[in-house]
Amino acid sequence: MSSIVRPSLVGIITATDAVTRNRSVDAICRDLAVGELLEECDALEAFRRQSGNLYERVRALFFLYAIHRFHLPGRLEESAAKLPYEGYQYLLERRFEEAIEIFLEAQRSHGPSDAVSSALAASYHSLGLQTLANQVRRSVRSLRGNQWMFRMGHPADHSLRMRPELLATNKDGVFPILRELTPVRMDLSHAGWSDIFFLGMDYPEGARVLNVSIDLAVHGRDAAPKPPVEAYLRVIDEPVLRLTSVDLGATADITDLAEVFDFARDYLGLLKAAVIASGMVPPGVEGSGASLAALLERLVGPGLGIELVSSVNSIPKGSRLAVSTNLLAALIAVCMRATSQAATLTGQLTESERRLVAARAILGEWLGGSGGGWQDSGGVWPAAKLIRGVPAMEGDPEHGISRGRLLPMHHAVPLGGSLQESLVLVHGGMAQNVGPILEMVTEKYLLRSEAEWAARQEAGEVLDEIIAAVEAGDANRIAAATTRNFYGPIQTIIPWATNQYTETIIARVREQFGDRFRGFWMLGGMSGGGMGFIFSPEAKSAAMEALNAIMRDAKRELEHALPFAMEPVVYDFAVNDRGTWAEALHGHDALMPAGYYTLTIPKLLGADRQRLSRSRRAELDAFAAACRSKPELSGMVDSLFDRLFPKPATEATNRNLKTILSDLGFDAVQHELIRTELQHGRIGVSQNRLPSSTRIDDVDDGDVAMTFSHDTAASVDRERGLDALRQGHVAVVTLAAGVGSRWTQGAGVVKALNPFCRLGGRHRSFLEVHLAKTRRTGRHVNQSIPHIVTTSHLTHDQIEETLGRISPGRFVDVRLSPGRSIGLRLVPMTRDLRFTWEEMAHQALDEQKQKVRDSLRAAIIGWAEHTGEGSDYTDNVAQQCLHPVGHWYEIPNLLLNGVLAQLLAERPGLRWLFLHNIDTVGADLNAAILGRHMADGACLTFEVIARRIEDRGGGLARVNGRPRLVEGLAMPREEDEFKLRYYNTLSTWIDIDQLLTFFGVARADLGDGDRMTEAIRTAAAKVPTYVTLKDVKKRWGHGQEDVFPVTQFEKLWGDMTAIPEVRSQFVVVPRVRGQQLKDVAQLDGWLRDGSAAYVEQLCDWA
Amino acid sequence: MHVRRAVITAAGLDDHQLPLQRLIDCDGRPKTAIQIVVEEAVAAGAEDVAIVVRPGAEHVFREAAGTSPSRLKIISQDHPRGYGDAVARAREFVGDEPFLHFVGDHLYVSDAPRRCAEQLVAVAKAEECSVSAVQATRENLLPYFGAVGGKRLSNCTGLYEIDTVLEKPTPTLAEQELVVPGLRAGHYLCFFGVHVLTPTVFDLLERLREGGARQLTPALAELAVRERYLAFEVTGRRYNLGQTYGLLVSQLALGLAGDNRSEILAQIVDLLAKQPVRQG
Repeated sequence: MSSIVRPSLVGIITATDAVTRNRSVDAICRDLAVGELLEECDALEAFRRQSGNLYERVRALFFLYAIHRFHLPGRLEESAAKLPYEGYQYLLERRFEEAIEIFLEAQRSHGPSDAVSSALAASYHSLGLQTLANQVRRSVRSLRGNQWMFRMGHPADHSLRMRPELLATNKDGVFPILRELTPVRMDLSHAGWSDIFFLGMDYPEGARVLNVSIDLAVHGRDAAPKPPVEAYLRVIDEPVLRLTSVDLGATADITDLAEVFDFARDYLGLLKAAVIASGMVPPGVEGSGASLAALLERLVGPGLGIELVSSVNSIPKGSRLAVSTNLLAALIAVCMRATSQAATLTGQLTESERRLVAARAILGEWLGGSGGGWQDSGGVWPAAKLIRGVPAMEGDPEHGISRGRLLPMHHAVPLGGSLQESLVLVHGGMAQNVGPILEMVTEKYLLRSEAEWAARQEAGEVLDEIIAAVEAGDANRIAAATTRNFYGPIQTIIPWATNQYTETIIARVREQFGDRFRGFWMLGGMSGGGMGFIFSPEAKSAAMEALNAIMRDAKRELEHALPFAMEPVVYDFAVNDRGTWAEALHGHDALMPAGYYTLTIPKLLGADRQRLSRSRRAELDAFAAACRSKPELSGMVDSLFDRLFPKPATEATNRNLKTILSDLGFDAVQHELIRTELQHGRIGVSQNRLPSSTRIDDVDDGDVAMTFSHDTAASVDRERGLDALRQGHVAVVTLAAGVGSRWTQGAGVVKALNPFCRLGGRHRSFLEVHLAKTRRTGRHVNQSIPHIVTTSHLTHDQIEETLGRISPGRFVDVRLSPGRSIGLRLVPMTRDLRFTWEEMAHQALDEQKQKVRDSLRAAIIGWAEHTGEGSDYTDNVAQQCLHPVGHWYEIPNLLLNGVLAQLLAERPGLRWLFLHNIDTVGADLNAAILGRHMADGACLTFEVIARRIEDRGGGLARVNGRPRLVEGLAMPREEDEFKLRYYNTLSTWIDIDQLLTFFGVARADLGDGDRMTEAIRTAAAKVPTYVTLKDVKKRWGHGQEDVFPVTQFEKLWGDMTAIPEVRSQFVVVPRVRGQQLKDVAQLDGWLRDGSAAYVEQLCDWA
Repeated sequence: MHVRRAVITAAGLDDHQLPLQRLIDCDGRPKTAIQIVVEEAVAAGAEDVAIVVRPGAEHVFREAAGTSPSRLKIISQDHPRGYGDAVARAREFVGDEPFLHFVGDHLYVSDAPRRCAEQLVAVAKAEECSVSAVQATRENLLPYFGAVGGKRLSNCTGLYEIDTVLEKPTPTLAEQELVVPGLRAGHYLCFFGVHVLTPTVFDLLERLREGGARQLTPALAELAVRERYLAFEVTGRRYNLGQTYGLLVSQLALGLAGDNRSEILAQIVDLLAKQPVRQG
């Protein structure tokens, strides 16, 4: 029936009736043939180009993305095709329209293909998000009250003036301080992330959030809840902009206007964004070459400057309470008050002033390259409020462009009692990036995916229920609704909102408290950080203590599997009834927060007292007096001493590092040799490349074998493979030495243990999935199949401990192969950093984010120069200073550590190994491919897949006429990679005896350690060593993280194909089998395109 | 509406000597600044003029005003209680009639045959309501002026119905409250320094004074709520003597608007030609 009345996809976009407009694009496309889909694409492409309406364009772009990502690939034969490099370059440069033109031309010329569809999907997706982001930016700029800041281009035109009250000094010359105290916000429901700007602007009727402003204290650490966010402003008698972040321990005197716009130079980016977004240094003066002193003279007066200080009372980052947005709002508010942009200097703000602060916080976040939801500055408003989207009306800058306004409306909601008595608020300690989730939500909304759209409607009903419960003061009802929200709409829309850590905590709380535990409440974008647990009031006190213990235990169990930034904490909280609030401090009370003095006094001690300004001297005297009289400052002397004479933390780290290096057999002589080569420029990132004279061509069709066929030969292969499996001739090798640098952005998590997806009813780690596949094969052939898991110093203990807790069953014989090689990371050479950033193609970012990245890169180059290029990287926990030396060593390690010797002794019939990477979750002991490998008689058979645009990093090529795998970093020219149709999966079938022959040994020699060492050294000399840059995280403070690129060395397994005496074959396998999961952002598509279901049917969880 | 009286405030100026400065007017005759303002009022039809001054300045202002003592009244503001209070001092002088009001430290040069104040009075007579002269002013000058927001009246060039009046607004507030359709971006209607006001303003000043407010702007904001109040873009320019080089610029403007324009231009060119070239 639906096919008879099916509207065109363009018709869905332009429909005026909600039923048609909200039809699911997936449901319609499911029934269409390739030709029909391509016709729809043509119509959508033409439509989006002519439509003047933002959301029509964006929706068409997302429809096109969905067709090319989810619907065409399944219908197209999975044949390999080349992608035009020019299109890829445009994509990197964010010139999406040009990229789309090139890819469409390729489709017209060579017909539709999986490869071109992948490129078009990526281009349409990026263009859609870019269009939305541009519109948000335009709307922020065009808000009345913000426009002038972009027009003002010269200090002489500055029309803000410091309020006279702040210029009036006392008899000692001390200027008063204006202090802004701001609560944070917790959201009871965001109705399916409806606070995403794009959603609010297209679907204002569905964009609703209920949030509450709260004061916070860390339970057991702080005396009582107070507004956690504080911003201080005062005039100073120096013509500088002095910025200080107490929590990040950073302070700077800025004298150059350009530095105000240099966000990533130091930890003061948020303060700089506030100074700009408040109009004190308007965005219009960026790049004007004007003098900051001239601007300050205009703003404050001759010889005077401004000091701005922020403090969040050590509330950890990632609390899901929008601490940073509310800090930005507090800083903007204090700057606006100081320059008469608010009616009153102190007290509350008016409603229109709050709205302007919220708008400018959005602007500030954009300037700083970050972004939150429109509810995030909710702390500016008092107590509980319903925040809802507003349809754009005539006169609004959004009118005619989007259905809704950028800024929502806030309506106070009466807060009945009891919530405070029942809720335990915690920070679970996990470090997470909510960004990909927000993109997924936007995409699913625009596509109106059936289940997600129904969930969105339900989320709205849940919100109504929560509002009613809040007004009634019924905590049990709130708990029931927030729990329903978490397990219903939230996880239907985004399954990744939960994780094993959260589930573990909830289960244990439920177990311990029974029905006294009333419900779970997810705060913000995802769980694991800020979370709420609702109890019966009499259980709250015990629950606070219990949760502390439960979270710490769960963290200890999972901290190697999931990224944690800090120890979990339980909060005390109180509802804040006044919103952001300012007060003026005069005379002896005109003091900054205590941490400010810990930070600044050590510097002042070195200065001649007479050279300090009069006001500074008077302030220090007042502070000294306060230290003697105010109990809260009683510990200042100790703090100051700690600051002046810090404990040498790095000494302990270095001792620990030396011990580990010595235990793991670190080769210091080799390390020094490599350092010398690196420092003298004989090796480096640029030298990874093959000589420019190397000829790189795509392989011929005859160079690869296909595994898609269902012919007789395939059936014979399958039988041959099955027979070998039944005979116990095959073992699996899973490479699990790595810590998934991309998976958790360098957080140092054991990737093998990361419970990445809910499969078979619960969260499963990569390792569990691989063992489940082997178990299934083992059960099928009634054999206990050896499954070797290779480990490194970074992963061994954790994997061993985890395996000790699970029983793999009789069909899997799990063995660990501990790594025997280790490297020490080095501070990178600036030449390698520059080469990587400037010479190699990389994804350009959105304009403002790119500025921030450029600034960060300048800071990193400064760090490398200052620390010493090529010196040992030791300024981190030991595990982050070491690195595995590449997966080439994994098989030689089997020879060295005796695992293979023992296995062969126990199973002399063992003849083949199947090696695969930890993230190739679809790889299993496929009998047909094994049979093929056996029949070919090759030493190594590598599995390759047809390339998609996201498959970067080398491929299968004819190098000077010989087929082999080439790593991306060895490509003489980056465009060479785009000549290649096939991408390496790394999955390899290995003939054990032929491999031993390559190493120059026989089975009988395997027990001879010296002989093995010599054999491996000889073999290693035949494969190249690559210099690579890896991102590592350094954690500090309260959940803060810095990412540093560091240098390490690797030998890679694919280079075995370059060795003439090793006979290598290549087989093409389906993507579902060869796909590697490198980035968490891939997961949603992997789940939706059927890959997860494919993997699940390969597994036996029993 | 008949406007017979004019009130000039000169009591609260930072430099109360400014109106006493001697300049050469458009006709080439030396006059004090206050005299030029008084003549502007008289030319607009004012029969009686009052100048509100600080105590002790009565005599010098009477001398400097250069008009017949019969039509001039000097009013003393005994304490500096703000601009609104200075205007309120003239209540008795004005009586129950509309009046013309000037600030004492501004001079006006018309670009039309009729003088600036004359243009304003003509509008007030035609519209039968309070009218303030305004000028579209760039936002960087907002810290110096009161500004108004409102709607342009159809079929009337340069005439606006005022709904908001703010004193020295920030550009943030101006953009939210004072955007007037038809003006260039970043431009606002700022006071020109000349108003025709109904006596209602005295009631409003009195009420606001009881609440502690001493400025004229809040009373004008209230006036816009109470009765029809218009803004008129005068064809002319205003010059603030109190700004840096204000006196010099005002003198040049007067000179260039008069018969001696060529001579003044020649002198300026000569001056420029003799300037040594500055390096760097």
